[in-house]
Amino acid sequence: MGFLIPCPNCGLRSAYEFKFGGEVKNEPGHGAGLCEWRHYFYFNKNVAGVQEEWWYHYPCQTWVIVTRDTATNEVVGSPRLM
Amino acid sequence: MGRKSPLWKFTEPRGTYDVVVIGGGLHGLAAAYYLAKDQKVKRVAVLERKHFGYGGSSRNTEVYRVNQRAPEILPLYLLSRNLWLELSAELEWNLMVWEKGMIGLAHSDAGLNAIRMRHETQTRMGIENYMLTPEELKKLVPALDVSDKAAIPIVGGYFNPPGGQVRHDAAVWGFLKGCYKEGVDLCPGTEVTGINVTDGKVTGVDTNKGSISCAAVHMAPGGYSSEVARLAHLDLPVMTMPLQAMVTECVKPFLDHVVVSEGYFCYVQQSIKGDLIMGAHLDPWQSYKLYNTYEFAQEQAYCMLQLFPDIAHLRLMRSWSGLCDMTVDGAPIMGATEVENLFIDAGWGYFGFKSSPACGKTMAQFIASGQCPELINFLGIDRFYEGRMIPEVYMVRT
Repeated sequence: MGFLIPCPNCGLRSAYEFKFGGEVKNEPGHGAGLCEWRHYFYFNKNVAGVQEEWWYHYPCQTWVIVTRDTATNEVVGSPRLM
Repeated sequence: MGRKSPLWKFTEPRGTYDVVVIGGGLHGLAAAYYLAKDQKVKRVAVLERKHFGYGGSSRNTEVYRVNQRAPEILPLYLLSRNLWLELSAELEWNLMVWEKGMIGLAHSDAGLNAIRMRHETQTRMGIENYMLTPEELKKLVPALDVSDKAAIPIVGGYFNPPGGQVRHDAAVWGFLKGCYKEGVDLCPGTEVTGINVTDGKVTGVDTNKGSISCAAVHMAPGGYSSEVARLAHLDLPVMTMPLQAMVTECVKPFLDHVVVSEGYFCYVQQSIKGDLIMGAHLDPWQSYKLYNTYEFAQEQAYCMLQLFPDIAHLRLMRSWSGLCDMTVDGAPIMGATEVENLFIDAGWGYFGFKSSPACGKTMAQFIASGQCPELINFLGIDRFYEGRMIPEVYMVRT
């Protein structure tokens, strides 16, 4: 099987119930150039290790920030609600 | 009778090279082979962290084809297909190439339109392709269910002759043999831990077996591309995702083509040995873990039975997964980087196998001459900053 993600509303649920929203990045500020925005949109750190990332839980329609080790799929700590 | 001399020998890396290739998969081995053979570069090494062909080169489904969507990239795939056909003779090693042809299936008017558009593109570029009705499909692939019993019935399809299968391990072994013959140093168990850059120019690499100085470095690390590029402080526009595939037990030959369903997003082919190689499922999240899920096997089996109801009793023998570094536009990243003499061939996602000989050949040309070949000069990393995306599409289920 895949792995489980603890949803703050629904408890431990299969990752297939979620939509992956990519790693947490720093959004460019106002006045940032097109190049900076494109870097923000398209480029990733794509870390093989622990990172913060966005997940959307379809059943309860909630975006959460999960800390996960991408090398093992282990979720670290409890997710933050946004 | 036993063979007297080995086909290749591995070696420890030396202190200096002209070109160091990071990654001992098909892309890296092909680049090293063509650097030595075509470009006459004397001192080339391939550094592989694990063993040769550990990554995507042995985790694919052995398909090559030339019917992608974006017209600009088709000549590269055509070159690759032609090289696959020639390489067995050139390497004196049977790659077991079987040009059986692709059968594509459409399950809706929209799907049929997409196929028709690709048909026009290919026909204009001189690539043989035929549009087929469900009745014609049934004649070519008798096991196919073209009735309206399936959840999403087949409404049409295509037959694309220049596609098929290459035995992937044979390809790795063939390139190892070729590299060894051309004097390339093959170094397994050699992990690159740093890429050294001085004044914006690459000067060498650090490895677990010591430092190596070299004039150029070529990164061909497959799914691990971001981790390798980070050694030179480069970010890549990719996300690494795990792809799963599986095979059934062997049965008598009944399937003479690679069959791709563009409605169920799955494909299947029967190998020479008789097993059905089927895939693929891309888990829609970033992960470097190699794992298989029950959900995949269940969904894959369901899709297969919608197409071929008669295979219902077949047992699954194995499933496996590989890492795919997916770009946002579905096209690869090939060419130079902002660091002088540091080259990259990455972002191949789940479709890197088919293109490996052509990528090796064109990258070798680029690295040796400094002139980017026309076949790949639009695939550079700068396109993401310039907004020059390539209209390729992903074809696997997520």
